[in-house]
Amino acid sequence: MSTTPPRIWISNETPAQGEVVRIRAQIVHPMETGFRIDAAGQPMPENLLQGFQAHLDDDLLMEWQPETAISQNPYIEFTFAARRSGALRMVWTDQSGDIATVTREITVGG
Amino acid sequence: MLRRRTLLTSAPAIAIGMGLIGRNALAAPAALTSETVLLPRKGNAARIVICGGGWGGLTAARYLREELPDADVIVLERNPIFWSCPMSNKWLIDVVDTGFLAHDMIAPAQKYGYTTVQCEITAIERDRKIVRTSQGNVDYDFLILAGGIRNAYDAWFGEDLEAAEYTRTHFPSAYIPSAESLALKNKVRNFTGGTIVMTLPPPPHRCPPSPYERACVMAWHYKTNNIPAKIIILDPKPQVAPIGAGYRAAFEELYPDIITHVPNAKVKEVDPYNKRIMTEAGDFDFDEAVLMPPHQASDMVFHAGLIGTDAEGKPTGWADMDPLFFHARQDDSVYVIGDSMGAVSPHFGHYPKSAHVANYIGKIVAGYIGQRVRGEEVAMRLPDNLCYMMVNGDPQEAISVEFTYEMGADNQVHQTQIDIDVRTPDLMKEDFVWIDGMFNDFLR
Amino acid sequence: MTSFAEMRRRQLLLTGAALGAGLAAVAVPFPARAQISTIAEPQPDDAESDRLAAQFLDGQQPVNEGLVLELPALGDNPAAVPLRVHVTEAMTGDSFCEEIIVLASRNPLPLACRFRFTPMTGSADVAVRVRLIQSMKLRALARMSDGRVLQAKGEITVAAGGCGM
Repeated sequence: MSTTPPRIWISNETPAQGEVVRIRAQIVHPMETGFRIDAAGQPMPENLLQGFQAHLDDDLLMEWQPETAISQNPYIEFTFAARRSGALRMVWTDQSGDIATVTREITVGG
Repeated sequence: MLRRRTLLTSAPAIAIGMGLIGRNALAAPAALTSETVLLPRKGNAARIVICGGGWGGLTAARYLREELPDADVIVLERNPIFWSCPMSNKWLIDVVDTGFLAHDMIAPAQKYGYTTVQCEITAIERDRKIVRTSQGNVDYDFLILAGGIRNAYDAWFGEDLEAAEYTRTHFPSAYIPSAESLALKNKVRNFTGGTIVMTLPPPPHRCPPSPYERACVMAWHYKTNNIPAKIIILDPKPQVAPIGAGYRAAFEELYPDIITHVPNAKVKEVDPYNKRIMTEAGDFDFDEAVLMPPHQASDMVFHAGLIGTDAEGKPTGWADMDPLFFHARQDDSVYVIGDSMGAVSPHFGHYPKSAHVANYIGKIVAGYIGQRVRGEEVAMRLPDNLCYMMVNGDPQEAISVEFTYEMGADNQVHQTQIDIDVRTPDLMKEDFVWIDGMFNDFLR
Repeated sequence: MTSFAEMRRRQLLLTGAALGAGLAAVAVPFPARAQISTIAEPQPDDAESDRLAAQFLDGQQPVNEGLVLELPALGDNPAAVPLRVHVTEAMTGDSFCEEIIVLASRNPLPLACRFRFTPMTGSADVAVRVRLIQSMKLRALARMSDGRVLQAKGEITVAAGGCGM
């Protein structure tokens, strides 16, 4: 895997109570579909990002299952309503297991 | 084609195309017929003449000297200094200073062992393998045309050279290294409020994401300094591209009161005197403008008679060169590199007209020429591309786009484009790492 | 277009013929070069996409409002077409979006991706980039916690080639 960490943008890490927070995240991943044949005539093995999960502490916020249609270096944008402070933990998974985890503190202000 | 040539050989047209020089500074007609030899030959060594000392030309010069240590490598360049277009939008708002962009061309020439001559190219005689310049004639075994682009004001104004010159001087596009860059910076600084119109060239053109970046850094400057400015981007394309989502997010989230993007705004008519633009998406009056006319291959490609034609026989405005080996289709001793290059693939058309690609193709062509001179097989190589674009000043954030290329089973080059739409400070840092590596590659 | 073999032959001729006196040139065979091909084939019709939609609907009638599928005017980069799907109604603990699927009707595998949400999410608004093998219809379906399935459809023209599948 690439050593480049995922790119993360968060609209507001200190949102007001109930504010909708927008997250953009992009990871480096080849997203090899398994459809391609290399120069030697050999099939290039499928290598897809299989999952992305975002948790606030232990609560699941959202889950994404990419398939072959998802572009190389997968981009995901999602929103959630900030109801409490906590650790926003994002985990990317492919067939080799968890490949990246990013944690950001979300502090809901008064 | 005939009209095009007529325009090129008439003095005012050259003045417009060349940007930097005034009409009075043109080479005297005598120079066009002079047989003065600029540089005598050094023995039997292969001589490679490179027209244009930009990203492609200087890279090719360096790598030719490494490929062919005995070769006589000559760079012909009109400007006295190297001025980097990459980072120049950041320079508009002082993220980098002038010393960051400007480089002397003597130091790399000395270090790598090639010759630079500051001159204007006035004619290219391919049958005699001679380049005519304002300093005299120089003959070649291989010629590399690395002149970048010309501003095709004639697409807007036809034969009306007065209007073209008025537009260039009053609303400079600052898309080619010249005094226009400083003029634009002063305009940005001195603007006190009102509407600024920015016309984008139709594709293909130099550095497609850069006009949007310019709009962002200008908008950031006006936002930060509380200057009531509106920037209207007149885009001939149906949507922002490349990095469309990243730019749209920046426009909407960072500069909602300043930037308006107008799609499908193909320019129909420009009235620079009354500050008015007519487009397919409506008419726009402006207080100030950055008017970027369509781009074409640099004048020297026209001088060399190497402009391609389309299926209907009309000139494409870009070089007609081999899509894999980059020599002119009609003359294998002439290579065209960088932004002047014509289409390379039916799948995506042109390689992005970027500094990164020019640098890469400069290296590739140095390798091709080295292999030919040494009598080796010529091994095809494909470039890649990488661009970073600043969208926010505080915090400093950038977005990015990457392109990779590979040969497909259809024997055509295929392109994969990856937009990095997530604006982050680390992309800004990577941009500085990128340009440091580039400057180390051919300027230091 | 010139065939690849033709280009290769021409380059060989060039190598041999290009140089003037004093510069030796030898023609040597052109090296084999990397060529990557694909066995990806577009779906011949919308049948597989419709089957996946029916499976997701599970007998429900889709509601053609409340869900928005945003597509660009043109897929100028077919390797990464941005799309956004969002449910317009407010999410509450009792009524929230549980799952969204996106179908790209003519892709080799029409199911592009799946999203799941929880009562904690408080919204259902996602954007991704998809690669599209040709111009096609797209469809998004969202299952709400009360059993409704919202539907949004779109169509996109993509530039040819370079999909990277």
